[in-house]
Amino acid sequence: MANPVSNQEAISTAPVANRALPISGAVLAVSAAIWAYLAYFAPLDHVQGLIQKILYVHVPCWFAAYAGFALTAVCGALYLWKNDERFDRVAVAGAEVGVLFCTLGLVTGPIWAKGTWGHWWAWDPRLTVTLVLWFIYLAYLLLRSFTEGSTRTARFASVYGIAGLAAIPLNYFAIELFGGAAMHPDNLERGSLGAGMGWPFAVGVLTSLLALLHLVLLRVDLENRRIAANSTATDWDSDEGF
Amino acid sequence: MNALLAVLWKDLLTEWRSRDRAVAMLLFSMLMVVIFHFSLPGGATTETRAYAPGLLWVAYVFAALLGLGRSFAIELENDAIEGLARAPVDRGWVLLGKTIANLLILGFVQAVTACIFALVFEMDLTPVALELIGVVALGSLGLCSVGTFFAAVAVRTRLREVMLPLLALPFYTPVLVAASRATTALFETGSVSFEPIQFLIVIDASYLIASFILSDFVLDE
Repeated sequence: MANPVSNQEAISTAPVANRALPISGAVLAVSAAIWAYLAYFAPLDHVQGLIQKILYVHVPCWFAAYAGFALTAVCGALYLWKNDERFDRVAVAGAEVGVLFCTLGLVTGPIWAKGTWGHWWAWDPRLTVTLVLWFIYLAYLLLRSFTEGSTRTARFASVYGIAGLAAIPLNYFAIELFGGAAMHPDNLERGSLGAGMGWPFAVGVLTSLLALLHLVLLRVDLENRRIAANSTATDWDSDEGF
Repeated sequence: MNALLAVLWKDLLTEWRSRDRAVAMLLFSMLMVVIFHFSLPGGATTETRAYAPGLLWVAYVFAALLGLGRSFAIELENDAIEGLARAPVDRGWVLLGKTIANLLILGFVQAVTACIFALVFEMDLTPVALELIGVVALGSLGLCSVGTFFAAVAVRTRLREVMLPLLALPFYTPVLVAASRATTALFETGSVSFEPIQFLIVIDASYLIASFILSDFVLDE
């Protein structure tokens, strides 16, 4: 499976991510400032107290993590279909940033759980599935570093990225049917949050998705620069050869 | 279909002549029983019988991983894997042939391991033997289908012995959860409800179809 997108073509797409970065950075900074203000002045929960405010960080992290993993699966499928290396670069960026947010969610969750449930960890279906998903995308990143040959790496990683997302429903149903009892609320219906808590939550979700976008763009830009640097080094090597 | 039978015959014949994979898996399973005995608070006796179904599946999973890793590693000798990939047949049948060969080899190891478990934990498995074979076969089909698929990926990586468990174990979770629950019910009540069986059938079908469709991307030249 030869890759039709040359390095030269890849370099020509580099300024796209580069140009979008200041805009995404500025929007993210404004959104993060508004979110921090709203979360700080949000009313305290009567039962949980201050620790409930971790909700404004914890839940948005899951939105960004799942969006990152979905981006990896979609771009992996597009890579297999179109055989275009640019999709693979977005896929790896999605996985790396997704793992980052997933780690943040897995760290903030137990802090909240200890304060409210009295335990650091519970084998709740949603928690367990997310932990499995975290392992899957860590394995995805390891697979990329242990596979030789860029085309094969991209192909194997794309297949694994798609399979990883497809494993979510199977794992969820298995654990819900035969695993531990659910501790998380079933859903966040309209009105299930207390008065004054909706806006900081919504802005938190928006900020996390903007952070995902900005970090993915940064990672793609880094990959573009790496390819450009490799290409330049190859040119110098061939010049010296003559 | 002929490709499936050819690969199945080749793998079983190779295993029959060398017997290295089955013997290694069997020894590994037996060693695990010894390890379980020393790691359980009261040892592997009638007192700790409640843990037997879960431990049985742990032994099955690790024995499967050991065997599955070898199923593609032997194809690296003399670049036989190139021949498999270049064969003018659908690669899905090649992968399916290997899956069934792995399932049969694992089945032999599982049967002996179950007998050892029955001896150690002093359980009479004969009244539930047929149901147990059914549950183990369904669970093992899930382990072997997705495991063979990822073995084809792992064999092309550095540190392939490490990569296969890392790639496959997260996909083993649903199989393990349903199969160990079904085995527990079987050991405790002598019967099993249709729910975990139905779930195992769905998982097996999903894994088999997905690995068949995606085989072109993992079996490469």
